[in-house]
Amino acid sequence: MPGSDHLSLKVDDFDVDGAVREAFERMPQHTRAGFLGRTLVAGAAALGAAVAWPTAASAARDSSDITILNFALSLEYLQASFYTEADQIGALRGALAHQATVVGMHERAHVKAFKELLGPAAIKEPTFNFHGVTENPDAFRSTAVAFEDLATAAYKEQAPLIKSKSYLAGALAIHSVEARHAAWIRRLAGFLPAAHAFDDPLSDAKVVEIVNSTHFVTLKEPQTSMEAKPRFTG
Amino acid sequence: MAKGGVPRIESADERRGLAARVSRASLFKGSVAVVGALTGAAVGGAELAASAASGGSAATDREVLTYGLLIERLQSAFYAAALAGGQLTGEARQFAQVVGAEEQAHVKYLTAALGASAGASPRFRFGDSATDPTKFIATAISLEETGLGVYNGQAVSLTPKTLAAAARIVSVEARHAAWARALAGKDPAPVAVDVPIPVAQAKQTFQPFIVQ
Repeated sequence: MPGSDHLSLKVDDFDVDGAVREAFERMPQHTRAGFLGRTLVAGAAALGAAVAWPTAASAARDSSDITILNFALSLEYLQASFYTEADQIGALRGALAHQATVVGMHERAHVKAFKELLGPAAIKEPTFNFHGVTENPDAFRSTAVAFEDLATAAYKEQAPLIKSKSYLAGALAIHSVEARHAAWIRRLAGFLPAAHAFDDPLSDAKVVEIVNSTHFVTLKEPQTSMEAKPRFTG
Repeated sequence: MAKGGVPRIESADERRGLAARVSRASLFKGSVAVVGALTGAAVGGAELAASAASGGSAATDREVLTYGLLIERLQSAFYAAALAGGQLTGEARQFAQVVGAEEQAHVKYLTAALGASAGASPRFRFGDSATDPTKFIATAISLEETGLGVYNGQAVSLTPKTLAAAARIVSVEARHAAWARALAGKDPAPVAVDVPIPVAQAKQTFQPFIVQ
């Protein structure tokens, strides 16, 4: 597959605490191979809906697919966290509040599906800081439009790169739901739900760049080594 | 439109026509997508195995895009009939105008991609399904949801290049479905994953509108 080096670079961009790399490095070679070939089925329904990842294509599971699934998981973490926070804060009203509740449920279901599928290879959830956007209906609306159009474009770019047919089917089934979310929030924001005849894809590098530009993704606790040493005062 | 223009689907049996192709029924049966919402229809194990066994090819690309073209032609004709009926007002009319123009663009794109094998469009008849404002919305939902479900089901069988092109249409169909649902007062996105629709099932939805 072309561009696998390129893709592994992108893991680092999203792998903010190195969890994915660590998980792989900890595993002995044979375990790693077995792990990659392992069949994972998300069986249980949660939150009303879940992706039923099938077992048949487990043979096709490989590292570039895992990279793509983790990339998708990262975007789902971001969205799920955003809607969940908006829902919990409760500053939204009416149709907007309903959108946040329903879409939040979907994004959490996507997170759960990817986490079950990836197992220990799943990237850890970063911490987010939405800087008050979830408390302000106008800011929430425009951010949600950006997130949903972004997710749609991101899935569109990644889908043709997925090797496993069943993962592809899952990604496509989520891709069109992200497009529905985009249409939904665009309408609530006064934009045309479907402004163009053709939706453009967006490269992973560009997606990462946009997400980073929001500063919504914050690093976890500061590394111990980077902390100032406590000063003895006694 | 794609930067590189319309992808041309080529294959060795291009000139051999229909007879050389795998029958559409068996082809589609083998390529049913393998994801189901637990709240919706799950796909059986036999279909799953068949799906895993089939691979992308130019012939399959053409089969899928040919059916996609039929869907786009039908949708395009539907919105044209709705607008010609003159009974739509407000957002419903705007929806028909915007979505109708986009379906026309899809028809043009797929016709160019398929080249000579695109063939002529069948004729369609919608009656008051297109012109009665209430029936219009219900029919639009049905046509858009079915079109999307077919694309989602078939897309897994495409070669990566054609999938990349088709995916640019698929999400627009999803937006149309969401918009139509909103006009009916329904949630634009009712479930977390979109369930693919087998072609056999889609035919039951489309057939009444196709003039034999």
